[in-house]
Amino acid sequence: MTTLSDLKISEVKLAAEEGGKWGMVIDQDICTGCQACVAACSMENNIPFVGEEDSGYGRAMHWIRIERFWEGEYPEVKMTNQQPMMCQQCGSAPCEPVCPAFATVHSQAEELNLQVYNRCVGTRYCANNCPYQVRTFNWRDYERPEPLPNQFNPDVTVRRRGVMEKCTFCIQRIHKANDKAKSEGREVMDGEFTTACAQACPSNAITFGRVDKKDTLVYNMMHHGQSHGKKHLEELGTLPNITYLNGGGA
Amino acid sequence: MSEQVSRRDFLKLAGLGAATTAVLTGCGPASRYVVREPYQQMPEYNLVGQSTYYATTCRECAAGCGLIVRTYQGRAIKVEGNPNHPLNLGKTCARGQATLHGLYNPDRVTDPIMKNARGGFAGTNINWDDAVQAVADALKNNQPNEIAFLIGTASDHVFDLLTDLSKTTGVNAPIRFGAMNMLESRATLSKAAENLFGQAGMPWFDVANAQAVFSFGANFLETWLSPLSYTRGFANFRKATETKLRGRMVQFEARMSATGAKADEWISLRPGTEALVALAIGRLVAEKKGIAVPRIFSGVEPLEVAAQADVKLEALEHLAEMFATSNAVAIPGGPALGQSNGLAVAEAVLALNALVNNFGKEGGVYLSALAPNQSEYHRPASAQEMQSFVERMNSGGIKVLFVHGVNPVFEAPNSLGFKEALSNVGQVISFAVFPDETALEADYVLPDHHGLEGWGYQRVGTGVSLPVLSGAQPVVSPYYNTRSTVDVFIAAAKLAGGKFANALPYADEVEFLQNKISALRGEAGGSFSAIDDEAFMASFQQFGGWWKNTNALTAPDSASVLNQSIKTQVKDAEFAGEGEFFFVPFMSPTLGEAGANKPWLQELPDPTTTVMWTTWVEINPETAHHLHLENDEVVRVISEAGEIEVPVYIYPAIRPDTVAIPFGQGHTAYGRYAENRGVNPFDLLGKHLNEAGDLAFAGMKVRIEKTGKTKPVSRNESTMGVYGEALGEEH
Repeated sequence: MTTLSDLKISEVKLAAEEGGKWGMVIDQDICTGCQACVAACSMENNIPFVGEEDSGYGRAMHWIRIERFWEGEYPEVKMTNQQPMMCQQCGSAPCEPVCPAFATVHSQAEELNLQVYNRCVGTRYCANNCPYQVRTFNWRDYERPEPLPNQFNPDVTVRRRGVMEKCTFCIQRIHKANDKAKSEGREVMDGEFTTACAQACPSNAITFGRVDKKDTLVYNMMHHGQSHGKKHLEELGTLPNITYLNGGGA
Repeated sequence: MSEQVSRRDFLKLAGLGAATTAVLTGCGPASRYVVREPYQQMPEYNLVGQSTYYATTCRECAAGCGLIVRTYQGRAIKVEGNPNHPLNLGKTCARGQATLHGLYNPDRVTDPIMKNARGGFAGTNINWDDAVQAVADALKNNQPNEIAFLIGTASDHVFDLLTDLSKTTGVNAPIRFGAMNMLESRATLSKAAENLFGQAGMPWFDVANAQAVFSFGANFLETWLSPLSYTRGFANFRKATETKLRGRMVQFEARMSATGAKADEWISLRPGTEALVALAIGRLVAEKKGIAVPRIFSGVEPLEVAAQADVKLEALEHLAEMFATSNAVAIPGGPALGQSNGLAVAEAVLALNALVNNFGKEGGVYLSALAPNQSEYHRPASAQEMQSFVERMNSGGIKVLFVHGVNPVFEAPNSLGFKEALSNVGQVISFAVFPDETALEADYVLPDHHGLEGWGYQRVGTGVSLPVLSGAQPVVSPYYNTRSTVDVFIAAAKLAGGKFANALPYADEVEFLQNKISALRGEAGGSFSAIDDEAFMASFQQFGGWWKNTNALTAPDSASVLNQSIKTQVKDAEFAGEGEFFFVPFMSPTLGEAGANKPWLQELPDPTTTVMWTTWVEINPETAHHLHLENDEVVRVISEAGEIEVPVYIYPAIRPDTVAIPFGQGHTAYGRYAENRGVNPFDLLGKHLNEAGDLAFAGMKVRIEKTGKTKPVSRNESTMGVYGEALGEEH
């Protein structure tokens, strides 16, 4: 059996590029920063709102956030293209090896970076080690007064205080699609379902789908012509599964 | 099934019934009465472990987007866009997503209340029979012309019902109003269309197929008219394909909006000079094209305009070149129309389109299609019309006021005096879903169902080429002891008898709706038809509406546009008040006019500033430096009409002589998440109007005073290292 140290970096990369199963392409040139994805994600994934004070302390629990930066000074000031940022579902995730409880692990079946809530003991090492700063920690049992809990999605765990969480690529939807495909004796088709953020996105800036096959929606967008596609902090060797396009705008 | 099935998979598969496909359900005529039942008597279409999906229409704004709501064992779980709906094609905005936080809001009006006194919610819970009797008495015991209805823009079926009622009984026709429409200056836009094209209507701008978009203040990627449709247009406009280049967008405004942030070129002009800049560009375009300068553009001197607008002449020339050489469209909107000369702005910008002759062409300007059951263009009330309504209330001309779907005490500027005028109205009956400021001032609060619990329809006013009537049906049974306002009126009219009963001869709301849409069944070229009215109604609910399959956009008549003269009307914009800063109030892109009580909307970062949960005032870094102001410092903003205290957000993309404050917060009622949070910038607005009768909300000047207080503003961004805020240093 080959171990990681036997392989050259380029080979590791290649192996993982072939290996990733689900991926996303985000077109920053058409993202308007409208926050529909953030709202959709929160509704789908039972994410608590933390209130004014805690959000001021940086404890807001958005699994996806829209980054924007300023360039230049007035009047030559420009907002950079909005950049939706969430768990990049790294093929070689820095958060995984530092977890003493094996709460953040790599799923063999889905080739995703999982967060197992009932293993998590809240060391927050993973958040510390995540170069994308996309993990959020449950600092409290945030109050959701009745009847707000009626809205909870029964497919998604409601997390408690002391647990780390992050974007899952809507794994409940992946499972649902898998189950349905299995019951029909076929494989999941590309575009058969999508994540909550991509589904809501008014400008269709987010595309989700298979990356382990050619001629899928995501694959084609990643490899379209002289693509400006970029993976963030790729130089760290994290092998992220989200590609960012910047069109002619950047 | 293949050879190996693990135990886990087996269990999963065993749980999957035959009905794995999501089937959209339309309530058939048999299930039209929504009754709360114990869950043991489960509806046949509900299976344990399976979701049921209902098509309905979003009521968070008036655009009329189609939704599909996922329900699970009688609860609404998730809002998704209706992929077949022509307007939004399966997409939703943040406010649509958060509509569930309205449905399951912990602060709803749970029962009909007869209040002890105005100004509080204390009172007696009454039963619905008494509530209906109260409405009937109000109708019967007053002169018809002393009865008025003030309703919102997001429930066209209520509007139609009350219009029917007013036609034959002599009660006043319903007045529609909303802060969103006020900030959109709809009256100005349609008046400009009427002046230039000889036909009032809502212009529609085909952004998707344009190569260059010149937006004069239009916040079309945020809340303007039909944000989802315009956002889709923008995405297509921006994408290069084999046959077209990536479109370029230019935004003219004093404060960079979230829309302006997407522009390739952001032109920061002095507020009030929008019309002149548009005319100057028109003149330069004509010169570049080598055609005689049309009359409408002839009176301006680009060099002078450049100086007045604080824009370089080279910039105007470069923009004119771009406008002349690409398939361009110019859009007027937002604060540009909220100037005292807003009508001239709208006309000047529309005239730019005439110059490149894009009327009725791809990438150009059209007039929006009328919805299927609509015979003429109708717009909400302008500020002027609201003012005269307030005067009527003050003069004692209104004895009974019914309020539905709008919160005028909060949404109308204080200077209009709406709240004070209510004291001259004998009886105020509110149908509010939430305990809002207007319900606080009412004598009765007779809560309507939440939008997801009720029937209805909404006409799609603009944003799509097809005539669309979007249908709404209950996706869950009512959570509280609420009743549909339409049902209340139908029942009350029966009790009142005579002409009232004759005006609303329906058994209930569903029969009323069926009556209103049945005429569509016979129309050819529709999205579906049916063998009888009941089947048609069921399909209408199931598909989430009915639409025609043919493009019904019309080309405006451009014949006389360029020969008009508006230069005489382009008086210098007037600014009320003595302050040194121009004041730009803008609609919060995430909260909208009624989102403040939805906690997840509160926690969404504002797209430009990333601020959550409160109000802020945007100030240019240089100005802040001169005034020795820092982030989070509370300042007093003072106009001729009022003053508010608000923390500073140092904003890099605003003119040094301008300050801006978002609208959406500052509630004194409206539930725990909204109350006593932030401030309402409308308190600063005067009652100056533009020529079209819209409020000149951007025609105010304000001054700023320090208060010595600070308020930490929750923001999602980090401020470390920005504007000298040093790392680790306390501020």
